[in-house]
Amino acid sequence: MKIGRRGFLSFVIGGAAGTALSPLPWKLMDDTSIWTQMWPWTPVPEDGEASYVNSVCTLCPGRCGITVRKIEDRAVKIEGMRGNPVNNGGICLLGLSGLQLLYGPTRIKSPLKRTGKRGQGKWDRISWKEAVSMVVEKLGDLRSKGRAHTVGMISGSDRGTVPHLFERFLTAYGSPNFFRMPSVRDSYELTLHIMQGVQALPGFDFKNADFILSFGSGIIDGWGSPVRMMRNFSAWRNTGAKVIQIEPRLSNTAAKSNKWIPINPGTEGALAMGLAHVIIKESLYDNGFIADYANGFDEWKRLVIDKYDPDSVAAITGIDAGTIVALARSFANASNPLAICGRGDGTTPVGLSDCMAVHALNALAGSINNKGGIFAVSDLDYIHWPEIEMDAKAAVGMQHERLDGAGSRKYPNSRYLPNRLPEAILSETPYPLESLFIAGVNPLYTLMDTRPIEKAFEKIPFVVSFSSYMDETAQRADLILPNHIYLERYEDVPRPIGMLQPLISLAKPVVEPQLDTKHAGDVIIQMAKGLGGSLANSFPWESYYSCLKETLGEKWEIMVEKGFWSGSESMTKNLETSFDTVSGKFEFINPDSGSAVQYKPVAVEGDRKSYPLILIPYDSIRLAPNSFVGDPPFAIKTVDDSVLKHNDVFVEINPKTARVAGLREGELVLLSTPIGAGKVRIHLFEGIIPGIVALPRGLGHTGSDDYLDGKGINVNALIGPVQDPDSGMDAAWGIRAKISKV
Amino acid sequence: MSTLDDHAKEMIEGAAHETAASQSTEGTIQKQDKGAGGTIILFFILGMFASLIIGWVIFPKLLYSKKKQPIDFNHAFHVTQVDNGCESCHFFRADGTFSGVPKLDQCIECHEEIQGIDPNEIKFVEDYVSKGREVPWLIYSKQPDCVFFSHAAHIKSANMECVTCHGHIGESKSLKVYEQNRITGYSRDIWGESIAGFKKNTWDRMKMDDCAECHQKESAKIEKRGIKTPTNRLIDDIVHVVSPWALSTVKGSSVQTERDACFVCHK
Amino acid sequence: MKYNKNHRFGMVIDLDKCTGCGSCMVACMAENNVPFRKDESNKLLSITWMRVFRLTNGEPFPKTDICYLPRPCMQCAGQHEGHSPCVSVCPATATDYGIETGIVSQIYTRCFGCRYCMASCPYHSRYFNWWDPIWPTGMEKYLSPNVSPRMRGVVEKCSFCYHRYQLAKEKAFMEKRRELKESEYQTACAQACPANAITFGDLNNPDHAVHRMVNPDPKHGGRPKNPHAVRLLERLGTNPKVYYLSSRNWIRQAGDNHLKNEAKIKKPVHHG
Repeated sequence: MKIGRRGFLSFVIGGAAGTALSPLPWKLMDDTSIWTQMWPWTPVPEDGEASYVNSVCTLCPGRCGITVRKIEDRAVKIEGMRGNPVNNGGICLLGLSGLQLLYGPTRIKSPLKRTGKRGQGKWDRISWKEAVSMVVEKLGDLRSKGRAHTVGMISGSDRGTVPHLFERFLTAYGSPNFFRMPSVRDSYELTLHIMQGVQALPGFDFKNADFILSFGSGIIDGWGSPVRMMRNFSAWRNTGAKVIQIEPRLSNTAAKSNKWIPINPGTEGALAMGLAHVIIKESLYDNGFIADYANGFDEWKRLVIDKYDPDSVAAITGIDAGTIVALARSFANASNPLAICGRGDGTTPVGLSDCMAVHALNALAGSINNKGGIFAVSDLDYIHWPEIEMDAKAAVGMQHERLDGAGSRKYPNSRYLPNRLPEAILSETPYPLESLFIAGVNPLYTLMDTRPIEKAFEKIPFVVSFSSYMDETAQRADLILPNHIYLERYEDVPRPIGMLQPLISLAKPVVEPQLDTKHAGDVIIQMAKGLGGSLANSFPWESYYSCLKETLGEKWEIMVEKGFWSGSESMTKNLETSFDTVSGKFEFINPDSGSAVQYKPVAVEGDRKSYPLILIPYDSIRLAPNSFVGDPPFAIKTVDDSVLKHNDVFVEINPKTARVAGLREGELVLLSTPIGAGKVRIHLFEGIIPGIVALPRGLGHTGSDDYLDGKGINVNALIGPVQDPDSGMDAAWGIRAKISKV
Repeated sequence: MSTLDDHAKEMIEGAAHETAASQSTEGTIQKQDKGAGGTIILFFILGMFASLIIGWVIFPKLLYSKKKQPIDFNHAFHVTQVDNGCESCHFFRADGTFSGVPKLDQCIECHEEIQGIDPNEIKFVEDYVSKGREVPWLIYSKQPDCVFFSHAAHIKSANMECVTCHGHIGESKSLKVYEQNRITGYSRDIWGESIAGFKKNTWDRMKMDDCAECHQKESAKIEKRGIKTPTNRLIDDIVHVVSPWALSTVKGSSVQTERDACFVCHK
Repeated sequence: MKYNKNHRFGMVIDLDKCTGCGSCMVACMAENNVPFRKDESNKLLSITWMRVFRLTNGEPFPKTDICYLPRPCMQCAGQHEGHSPCVSVCPATATDYGIETGIVSQIYTRCFGCRYCMASCPYHSRYFNWWDPIWPTGMEKYLSPNVSPRMRGVVEKCSFCYHRYQLAKEKAFMEKRRELKESEYQTACAQACPANAITFGDLNNPDHAVHRMVNPDPKHGGRPKNPHAVRLLERLGTNPKVYYLSSRNWIRQAGDNHLKNEAKIKKPVHHG
């Protein structure tokens, strides 16, 4: 049979009719449309049983309690822990982004040994056994040569069992060189030590304060424990407490406070003295306190009355005399006034004299160890370990002076001065640093003026990092021993600085360790055991877990269940026994220098002629400047387009200043300081004093991830350190700068 | 047929006046035409038949890939061994979520050791229990990710039976072959046993229309009793989205489905 | 049997307390599987169901002032309940207004991406997926099963964490309850807010904090009786369910458009 044209057509029509009568086209259409709605490459998260684990966030010094929601063995959401004394359910954006750090691809997956040149990024994966024996061999060698003291360690904290293990290791090994990164806490500790004779942490009774005079402290910009401070701020809105913010730039804190008083940067100490002048002159101070519990008041009074009248102070600070007088009166007349200091998020120290001047205001107002005031609180004493076994080598090593000069004749009261390390390392005085261990910090990013620090690193023959991430510091290490991140490990976490209520939180493994990482505590114990002898004897624990459990004793059970242990608020109100100075009273005179509390300007680098502007850094909580990790993808997503556009960061400048220089909004310019330069864009902002420009901290990272790398510049690389002569700490608050067109 | 014949007669008669050559040509055409009519129909039928075979028989076979469950399971037997029916293994968690297919942990409660001589149980204990591996069950009634279905609302609140949607799976002695749609990736039990969309039982298919069908009936019952409830409204809405023509009157100032919203069943 | 009365879930945001920290934005992203890209600085393309806007009063130094304004979906009821700007224009019935909850829903799989709803939303609360969501290797592990990840080509927006309502109801059903307690259904942003600036609850329920805070006037589409409370673009008649509290006049003024002779305070400048 021949198939003709008609036959064929007929066949096709028949086929079409049949097809139409079959489910094929309709089903196919349906299925295809469903396929287009559910692209197979769109992930489908697996469902399962939900559970919650209580732990603590250690991404910043805030120490918020967290409750992690899990589906089967996956962590899916971090939430603030309800009922936790720090944050009671609230949580910041960094804490919320924690799972991106847990599951993100930027983590270090196993121990790494450097193969290429420093910072070249060439690494060999090695086993833990190999890594630990490498460290043991190196340390054993140094020790046998009598150079144990040339080993140093920088830690993010000096509180809790893990930092104690680090310090214990160094002591038993024979090195005094344990360092902690500096913050405003150090300024406060020193102030309390000098003026009250105590070794204590500052504790603030924010709950009862009704007039908060903040010398640049970013109360809601990350200062202290960020979530706790924001809750305090909201509570003040309810109680009607007043907040006065003094700083050169309209920060979020300034905008939300009852009054923003712009001040020339770095002159906060002068204002404090000026306020003291008015308070003393008008006899508004707490007579009882001054008469019974203060020493050197008369001498100080003379100085204050002589030198700090409102007009002179107005000339220094740029605040008019009337405002100073009015502010002094309202501060002194409030029932529970409190003055605080520490610029921005408080991760940089302030000059000792500034902190003392602010503290003197609290003394005048009778707010020392008083309701709504500042308390000297001793840290919780719960770590009781057997005596360290010191062999001859350890004893000899410990007799060396510290490399950073802390505790030396020059800086007798300072405890840690890592900012002085680069100079000491480069000049090899008093001796060279042969090996450096780094845990939980990123000094190559966070210390001011990063270039000498990089150079100093080049000089250290053996650098070991415990970092979980390939941060700027880890990139220049010789060996990386990646720690579990906080969601994978046990660790005790003492209360945040500034808190009165005794509290120890417990970080718990929310999920199994995701990679070939090891707890830094375990590594230290293994290192000690590897070195043997007295070191091994000083570390009798089988593992970090058993050490922690034993240390916490009866608190362990409750901490595992609740995530924290808390005691009742302790406020020493007995002023009779509060002061441990020579006079037994509150000191207005620094016993070290013999001089009364006064304003000592911290001169920043650069001359006015070549650098007509002043650059100050500012802290925004959305850029996580107070963390040792870079901003995770979620957090960087929230950053305004007036702060970051594509890869360019904006420098804030008053429109008046910009007009004079002929600069337009969004223009790309070169911002240079005596230390360095970088390309930035102009953002006209009315909330900044003319002549001052501001850059945010937390940008300009390298080697973190695709979402943060190459965005903006690191402001710390543009600002040079200024050593505070009283404390040795870095008291820089900015630097002179200029802007040129490109 | 007479008309056709008459027509042919006329043609032949008329053709007689023509030339022989033309006559013969005409005749050939005529013959061909006569045969072609049948062929055309034949081809039409052939085409139709072939496409019907393809559409109804071959297409469904091609559309679904057949997968065997990793091990066989006897529901009927297990039901006799437990106290609480389906909910003994397919239980609600304390937070109200439904556990679905049991995890290894549950099975281990009885199957730590081999209990009998069934080769499937032996395989289960040896390959999964002792190795601590979860069984990769293929789930017949797994809904797409965009669907939120609350078992608690239906079982705990509305007191429905499992059978209504899942059929008599509890009486089955072995697991049937899992058929997966090659295009959408969904189980045939969701998209319907019948390729044409016919269904005899409530559990034959679990598409949006099927939810709507049942909800519509329930809605009508409640409406008769004159109760206006949010649940009731929800039902209307689903019906309205699925088949807007099903509701005779468009109520009030409805904008889309009139009221309750897509989020009730979609996430 | 007693049935639920209709709810009207809404939010009150205290702008005096809001610190602009951005935690609500991230809480929302983490809760709702919101994707992220390498460069999110083009805010028109950046998907943020909850977005914190920065307002300034436009005054020169030193009188300048900043205010942060978190903006979720307003869940507009419209002039007649259900006539939300977006719902009334959707040609696909992919978005809808729930009478039971007052929440505007969105089915991502039903949306075909015409973006008509985005054009009609006066609050810019809706976002379009211009790209497939991509999580870096390993990061998809934290995705929540309670919210389905969206695909390229569809519109998405804040849902007032509707899945949390669903989960709370499931728990209630288990306990043979039909009513939810105020604390049982809270959005992720309200829960996370470090400053306690966001309050969430049922505006119809006089026992709920949101009702007490703004005292909505049912005769005028829920307009707040509290003089310190405003709704954005009140005069547009969208009848939104998000209220803002502020003690500062310029901020309350900024909540709506005003004629020149009407506004005594200079019009604010919106950043970003």
